[in-house]
Amino acid sequence: MNVLEMFRMAFSSLLTNKLRSFLTMLGILIGVASIIAIVAIGNGGKAAVLGAIANQNLQDTIEIIPSELVAPGLPQPGQVLSIDDEDFSIAQSFQGVSQVNYTIYGTSTVSTSSRTANVSIEAGPSDLDDLARFTVIEGHMFQTPDVIAHRKVAVLSTSLAAKLFGNGNPIGATVMVQGTPLQVIGVAQSQEANLFSLFLGSDYLYMPATTCRDLYPNWGISEMDVQIEPGANRDQLAKRIVTALNIHAGNAGAFEDSSGFLAGIAGTVQKVTTILTIVIGAIAGIALLVGGVGVMNIMLVSVTERTQEIGIRMSLGATRGAILLQFLIESMTITTIGGLAGILLGSGVGVAVSVVTGVPTYVSWPISVLSFLFSAVIGVICGLYPANKAARLDPIDALRYE
Amino acid sequence: MIELRQVVKRYANGADTLTVLKGIDLRIEDGEFVSIMGPSGSGKSTLMHIMGLLDAPSSGTYVFDGQDTSALSKPQLARMRNQSIGFVFQNFHLLPRMNAVRNVELPMLYGGIGRGERRSRALELLGQVGLHERAFHWPSALSGGQKQRVAIARALANNPRLILADEPTGALDQKTGREIMELLQRLNAAGTTIAIITHDPNVAAVANRTIHIVDGVIVDEVHAP
Ligand SMILES: Nc1ncnc2c1ncn2[C@@H]1O[C@H](COP(=O)(O)OP(=O)(O)O)[C@@H](O)[C@H]1O
Ligand SMILES: [Mg+2]
Repeated sequence: MNVLEMFRMAFSSLLTNKLRSFLTMLGILIGVASIIAIVAIGNGGKAAVLGAIANQNLQDTIEIIPSELVAPGLPQPGQVLSIDDEDFSIAQSFQGVSQVNYTIYGTSTVSTSSRTANVSIEAGPSDLDDLARFTVIEGHMFQTPDVIAHRKVAVLSTSLAAKLFGNGNPIGATVMVQGTPLQVIGVAQSQEANLFSLFLGSDYLYMPATTCRDLYPNWGISEMDVQIEPGANRDQLAKRIVTALNIHAGNAGAFEDSSGFLAGIAGTVQKVTTILTIVIGAIAGIALLVGGVGVMNIMLVSVTERTQEIGIRMSLGATRGAILLQFLIESMTITTIGGLAGILLGSGVGVAVSVVTGVPTYVSWPISVLSFLFSAVIGVICGLYPANKAARLDPIDALRYE
Repeated sequence: MIELRQVVKRYANGADTLTVLKGIDLRIEDGEFVSIMGPSGSGKSTLMHIMGLLDAPSSGTYVFDGQDTSALSKPQLARMRNQSIGFVFQNFHLLPRMNAVRNVELPMLYGGIGRGERRSRALELLGQVGLHERAFHWPSALSGGQKQRVAIARALANNPRLILADEPTGALDQKTGREIMELLQRLNAAGTTIAIITHDPNVAAVANRTIHIVDGVIVDEVHAP
């Protein structure tokens, strides 16, 4: 008799005891569902953090920052407080470097005739809008001539524009920054989907770096953006420039490649989420094992209850192999259906978590397939002892069993 | 068809052994209708289990269809039970969680017959025993006589050459019992060898040979006139 027949038989046998079959399945179901959900949520969180980091990190740009700035506190002796023109010319002198720009970051207030708001100011070269994180949705970004001419123009993030102008059109309007009127020439999408906006807020004002230096002469230049030529080895170049800058500053740790810093964070995030996933996964695995023990227990009860059935089947010509397979397949059917339901439930939980928290979740296909196979294997392992017990029954003893 | 030579069956009973069959010599030819009678506990069922290859003699020889059964492996024995023997029990022994037609299909399932053929043959057999309308009833919804007819249909599923019936009418009223016996007679007339255990002399009268067992020994053999 073929395996398909045996599955059909197993199904109808499990259907005659629906509640019991369901309760037995529950252990496996919960174990698999928690594994699927945990991995989905873990992967989603990891991808969100790594995606945010990758978003800040461009392939053709090296972002160099003075080291200690990333660890706020009192200035250390030998700490570089602002990148200066000599540093720029050092970076510019390397072969493979096409252009060196700088970005100034700061916080200030901005006002219209009626409203005032706190903002993060980001001032840079005209190619700021090449960065993936900028999407200008109205007007346009400032251009190279604006930077060269120290023009008093500004681009607002959508949330800042809404704060200052409500539903009105900000393009062409004037905002006051540091007592100086700036003309609004564009609106860029706020970075709401970006994890960094959680910490940094989403009210941004962008202006040409030259203008910013005019308005805030005391602000240090905290980032150097080194554009590299296509084909140049980014990481190697970054190392050499940082080393040269450090030698110039007379401090081996004066500068660093901030993408390296971000890569470090990314690595830590990877490690932490991987460890968390393994630990929680192991706990879920233990839950699965407990579910398996439940399956074994019920299969033993089932074999005892159906002793006479086994005897009758043997009298009708069932071989020991057929009896063994029958119970193995029954136990495997319980665990694989439980496993499938667990995959569905776990994915559902993942989706629900993503809807509620806004952090995306990713159901892992390999883990789903693996959990499915694992639940089938648990079915076989936990069914083996009861099924063997059934198959080894003596036909006559089984038939006479009351 | 079958031959038992000096068949002995012993059971360990605590420290001592209980000898249930004490040297049975018996031949049953193709096409015979043999009844086996004897008091309760005399070893009739034990004898039938040995004849049905469900149990092995403690000593002696059992030859089935020219083959010494002691030389057969367990899967071979299962195969012979499946193909050559049909059992009918006093308590019907239907699987309670399967409807009538699926009960009848079981031996064919183990015999490797495909789904479609299995179903049509099972329905045909149920028709032969007069249960066409009850094919999809659960055993619990059938009367004793109907259950026994399902059991007979099941015993016939793989066209066995030997039907072994252990008090098939024992749990039935007289009229139903007669109907079952008529069914078995028809089968025998069609060529199936039948051995039936019974307490009822009227039932035994249907057979062409009656064997009397007392205390594990054949004491008498009566041929019908
Ligand atoms: N597995 C067994 N272990 C011990 N004694 C048994 C076993 N099977 C049957 N017997 C004994 O064998 C005797 C004959 O039983 P059985 O063949 O069922 O008699 P009958 O069918 O003629 O009433 C009885 O005394 C019974 O108790
Ligand atoms: Mg008996």
